[in-house]
Parts: sequence; structure tokens; C-alpha cells
Amino acid sequence: MASESVLIDLESDFMRSPEKVMRLDRMGSSFPTRLSFMRTLIRRMSRENWKFERTRREVDKDGYGLSIYSVTTPNRTYSLVGFTQEIPADMRTDRVIAEVWDATFNLFDGVPTQEDIDYLAQNTPKQEGGRYRPSELALARANKSLRVFKNAVDSLSKGQQPDLDLLTSVGYLMRTSAVYGSGKFGCADRAKIADREECKAPFQMELLTVYLIRWFTIDSVEELAKEKGGKKAVKFDQSTRQFIGVGNATGLGMAPFLLKHPALIHNWVVAKETALARVRSIETALPGTLEVFLKSLLQVSQHVDEWSVADEVQSARISRLTDEIQALRMWCENESNIYRPYPWNGIYQYVEDNFSLECQEMIVSLIIEPHGTLVDDLADTMSTTIIPKFQADMTLSHLKEVVADVYKWATTIDFSLEESQHHFWYYSEDKLEPRFGSKGVDDGVDQEMPLAIGRDVHDLNEVLQGIDEDMSIGEFAMMHPQFRHIIRRVQNTFERPYSEVQDNLLSESMRPLDLLRFKLAFFGASKFDPKSDLWTRISMYQGAPMPDQLSEPNHDCWSFPIAGKSQSYPCINCTCRKTV
Amino acid sequence: MSKNGLTISLNEVLFYFTRAGFGVKAPIGVSEDFARSNIWIAQNGFDPSECSLVALDNLDSQKSSLSIQFEKTGDGGRLFCPEDKVLSAIEASVSCVDWIEFNGLDGDLKVTNVDCPLLVVSALGANQCSGIKVSWVDRSNNQYQVNLSDDSNWEIIASSETPIEQSNYADIEISALDGANKTPIKNGKLKTFNIADEKLKTLNNGVSVGDKWPEIYEYFSRCLVKSSAESRASGAGAGLVDTD
Repeated sequence: MASESVLIDLESDFMRSPEKVMRLDRMGSSFPTRLSFMRTLIRRMSRENWKFERTRREVDKDGYGLSIYSVTTPNRTYSLVGFTQEIPADMRTDRVIAEVWDATFNLFDGVPTQEDIDYLAQNTPKQEGGRYRPSELALARANKSLRVFKNAVDSLSKGQQPDLDLLTSVGYLMRTSAVYGSGKFGCADRAKIADREECKAPFQMELLTVYLIRWFTIDSVEELAKEKGGKKAVKFDQSTRQFIGVGNATGLGMAPFLLKHPALIHNWVVAKETALARVRSIETALPGTLEVFLKSLLQVSQHVDEWSVADEVQSARISRLTDEIQALRMWCENESNIYRPYPWNGIYQYVEDNFSLECQEMIVSLIIEPHGTLVDDLADTMSTTIIPKFQADMTLSHLKEVVADVYKWATTIDFSLEESQHHFWYYSEDKLEPRFGSKGVDDGVDQEMPLAIGRDVHDLNEVLQGIDEDMSIGEFAMMHPQFRHIIRRVQNTFERPYSEVQDNLLSESMRPLDLLRFKLAFFGASKFDPKSDLWTRISMYQGAPMPDQLSEPNHDCWSFPIAGKSQSYPCINCTCRKTV
Repeated sequence: MSKNGLTISLNEVLFYFTRAGFGVKAPIGVSEDFARSNIWIAQNGFDPSECSLVALDNLDSQKSSLSIQFEKTGDGGRLFCPEDKVLSAIEASVSCVDWIEFNGLDGDLKVTNVDCPLLVVSALGANQCSGIKVSWVDRSNNQYQVNLSDDSNWEIIASSETPIEQSNYADIEISALDGANKTPIKNGKLKTFNIADEKLKTLNNGVSVGDKWPEIYEYFSRCLVKSSAESRASGAGAGLVDTD
């Protein structure tokens, strides 16, 4: 399989090491790249000429009822089945523990019969309280941004465009608060669809669901405006339409996923880091690429200006990022800095030496962006079917070496200090909501999730010091079964070095937010808007082409969008070449 | 979720059985393997809760133990519980796989007084161990042989109508499969499985779990932490009402 055939050249001067990349502070500064999963999906939709159609809309004058949107790919059809209802304002919450939502959805595998729709009508609005079948590929829900939704309906109904400042400050009409796939609540297992071309990249069906929800939100607002304003009503103008994303509230549930899928995470990171290494190793810039990069700096300056958050930490980081991009633009004005051998490596190195992690990771995204022909093949390597196995034939001496070499970050932590074991992760009985507890404060230490990687390796290392190296690992595991999971993990990291977060996840200073942003950036999310250290709001598909724009030449030019602009900066991967 | 007659996904088998194992204090790494074994059982068309509940009950009541030792015998080796208890299949299954991966199958491996033989078989299957014969006579004197023929097929030969998932408490013998020892049970009933076909059926239809499921869920529930007003308000870092 392609996904298992990525070659990692760790000796390359241009490849960043796992020790550098897999640290929480850098992970928490991630930005989407052209390898992010939403970008991959949009490129496929365009390349394969997917057909989109609203097949049913049976709603009342307030928009409550049933809607179905279908998409036909070269081999099959998928249908978003959505139900909308009126809910009390005080029950509108993004938490897992919510009981009602403005809109609920399933992505159905095929075209649903009336019997299927009747079944879903009984289950989908209940979300986790319902049961689903292998015909359902995803389960999702969304709540309105009341201010933006109302302003958009009112404005369009009067023949006006909505308040762009308000729309820019929020970025979406509705936000999803969960998108479940992969066998959750009885939905189809990933194995059912994993061999389908359009499903091979990670999370493609979940992200297709979100893309269809985005279309649903825009379509719903336009229909409601027409209902209200009659002939006076207008639709969103094209640039506003394209700028509207779909929001998402992401909490702790994403963090355990990252830690439970180390082989997958390794492939994601290797793909991105290989893309960066390929670009940095270019001796002479490909025609037009440096010019595109320089224009992109101007574009991201405006994008960052529109990235407004209340969180003080992130706000300060954005402010610094603004200054650093300005400084980089000035540095780039000196042509001798960039028109020289290995220009991309020079730019990267300058940024790494002088600017914040936030700026470094943004520049990683920007210098990869104009190099689609060089890096897009890596998107095919980001899945895996590998489940790390316990390898009983490894010697104990080898295991000790791996622990010493790869887990120095863990074996050197002093876990006798309270701050080193301050937190624990657990599932609440309240709808299985994942929560983050503090020892001595919260109940549930005995039921903590097995995410204490650093501590468990540390403990393993202590025991290994007193063990006869002639013993086989199988014998050792019989004597010490409590280490089986961590030995399996160490063995996996030896083979897949980018799979492990190299920080203490129990530490008092640990911010789960960093894990969330890392994963969301791989999805392609933008406008990270932290609401605490434990959850964030984001935008998805902001700037992405709508279904009727997928055949346009600039369908892939939508990174770091700006309000009021119908496209992002010009890339050299398509024929658009429009100027900003 | 704690209803009878449910259909669940393979991912739910992984989620619930890992934590059910943890709920009876099996180490997490062993519980993960236990859950993978249950996925193999489920994707071959069996109800995983049927045989696994016995193993979970035994461990919970301390009728069985995770303690295990190995001793060399003249023609191979033997795994047994050093305590005066039944050997838990939850541990026996992973130890068998480890032993075979490390030593191969030059000689026979015997596993003494294990509670759920199908769990041992499923661990071998889940780890793609093939060319292997697993046989036992259970305490009801029913005789079973499972031939893990190759990567595509496996078969059960049984002396009785009692479903294999209900066969408990036996000394198991594991050896290399060859033509001579393939079908030694006289008048045995043969059932064959094509692994890919069975998996496809399961992926398209889900895993039906029967009346034992609520008890599996009960063990799973032990990993859940009671919610308090404080943890509800702050444990996920978000408020209880969201508007924007």
C-alpha cells in the first residue's frame, strides 16, 4: 500500500526531526497546508467532476423539517439527510452533553428510501441517543450562530447583502458540534469504505458531510430569505457565499484519538514534513513560485487581520504574528535574501531563527503552497491500515536501547513532583463526555484513560534497569502485563518515529488545546478561536469553492481567505494566475 | 446503549471490550488485545459477548487469574496458572500468541485449565497466525478442533451441537496443522469460514449482540466517572449554553 511506503530520510538536512516537530508548543501552532484533508477532498471533487443536487426540501415556513442533498461521484452516490427543528435558546450548547440541536444530519451511503428516511427521522435528532446502521457513514449536528443567521436572513430578504463585518467576525452561519464516523453509535466501520478511492485519504466522508452541511446552511438562509422577502429577496453574492465557512466547536474528544492512533499520526506528520523537506531542498526556485510566495505574504497579512479572538494568549500570538509577517516581507524586499541557491531553505531558516512558532508554522504552509506538483502525491500516503502489534521477538536489550534513544523526553521527567502528574483524562458517565481532571480535586483517578505515555515509559524504564537482558519480551510481559501497552507503543515508535507527542500530557502546564489545533490543522481548519485550554471554535471550508464553482480553474486556491475576496492568492498549480 | 438485541459496529466492539477488560482490572495492554480478539470473533459472525462474558465474570469474581507461567515439556511447552485457579483466557490468549511468535511451532504448546478456548483461538486468528491446529475437550466432554488453515480460511470440527462460543474450561493443545491431524474427531461436524466473506457480511450488517450484552456494558461502565455539578460545569472546559 502506498500509505505504508513513505520513505523517511531522517539524515536529510531539510527534514525536521521528531524531537522538533512533535512538541506540544509547535503542534499547537499548526496551520493547514495543501495536504490538509479538506484540500485533498476539494481537489478530488473537482478532478472527478462530482455532481451535487438538493433532492428534497420539505420544511415549514421557518425552515423546520427534512432536507436531503446528494453528491454523485464516479462510482456511487452519497446523501446528506438533515432534520431541522426549533430549540429553546437556553438548551443550545456545543458540549457533548447537549440534548437538542438546531440541525442534525447523517451521511447516507447511497440514496435513502422512504423507509430509511423514516428510520433516521426517529434516530438522527437524538444523536448519541439514537442507533445507526452500516448504511450511515457519519452522524453530525449543528447549531446556528444566531446573530449571523438572523442578520443574513433579514438582509437577504430585503434585497441587501448581510453585514460583512459581522459575518467576518464569526465566519459561518452554523457550527457543527460533533461529526462522528468510523462505527460510532452503529454507523459504518471505516473498513467498509476504506478501499473506495474517494475514502482512502483520512476523514473524507466526515469532511464531505461538513462540506454538504456548509452548502445546506447557505441554501437554507437563502430559502428562508425568499420565504420572508418574496420577490425582493436576493441570494448571497458570489464572494460572500464562498467566504462563508461552517463553524465547529471542538473539545477534548479529539485528543484521545491522536494518542490512540500513533501509526496514523506518523503518516500525517511524515507527509507534511517530507513536503517541507522537498521544498527546502530545491536549489533553484521553480518559475513563478517566489513571486507567488511574496504575494501570499500580503494575503496572509489581511487574513490575520481578520483573525480576531477573545483569548488573551492567542490574541497576543496573532499580534506578534502580524508584526513578524511584516518583518519578513521587509526582509524579502532585499532580493539577495531570496534570489539565491536554496531560496526556500533560506526563508525557512531565517524564520526559524528569528520568529515565533506561530510564524514558523505559517511559513511552512506558505512555502509548501505553490509546490503542488512536487508534493500533492504525498496526500496518498496519509492513511494506514497498520495496527501496532506487540512484538514478542524483540530483545529486552533492544527495547532498552529504544527507550533510551527515543523516549529521553519521558525518562528524564521527575514524576515524583506533583506538577508532573497534575492532570488525568477520563470519560464521564454523562454521555461519555471526555473530561480533563486534576488530581486531588476531581474524582476518577482510578478510571483514568491510558494516555499517560510519558509516565508509563518512565515506569517501564525503571523496571527494565533491573532485568536480566537474556529474558525475552514475551516472558517479561507475562511477569509484568501492566507494561504490555507501553511496550507495544515503544516498539511502534521505533518503526514510526513521528507517532509520539514528546511531552508530558499529565503536566500542570499541559494545554489539550495544542493537540486539538494540531489535528484540526491537518483537517484543514482555520481561524482557531480558543475558548479555554480545553476547547476551541474554528472555521472549516472558509473560502472553499461552492459546488457550482468546483469546475473553475481556481478551485484549489482558497487557503487563508479574506472577506470579500472570491479567491485566495494565485497559485501555480492551476491556470487561474489571477493577481490579488 | 444498555438494551438487548442491539447491532453494534466493530469499532464499538473495540471500544467497549477494551474497557470491559479494564473494568475487571486486566491491564490495559492485555485488554486491548482482548478487544482485538473479540473483533475477530465478531467479524466471523459470532456474538462476542457470548464467550467473553464468562472470561470477564471469572476474572471479576477471582475464579480465574491472569497469573501465568511457562514450562518446557519434552515435546514443546506448557502455559499454566501457578495459583489454584482457572487460567484466564484473557491472559492465556496473548501469551499463546507471544509464545508462537517467538518460538514458532516446532513442538506443541499446551494451555492448562483455561476458561474460554475460543478467545485463545481468536487471538491467534486476530494476529494472522495460520497453519495451526487448536484442539480441546471441554468440561462437558465436548470435543473441538479449530484449524486456522491459512490467511483466507479456517474451520471448526465439533463433536456436538453446542456452539463453540459456549465451550468452556478445557486444556488446550496448539500444534502445527498438517494433513494427518486435520480431522481427527470421529463424526465431527465441520463448519468452514472464509475470513474475507465473513468480514464483508459483518461490515454490511453490523454485529448482533444478544442477551449477554448488558453485562458486558456493565463491566464497560466501570471505566466511567460519576458526574458532579463541578465536573459537569468545568471538566470539558466549556460552558453549558453557547450563543454567538
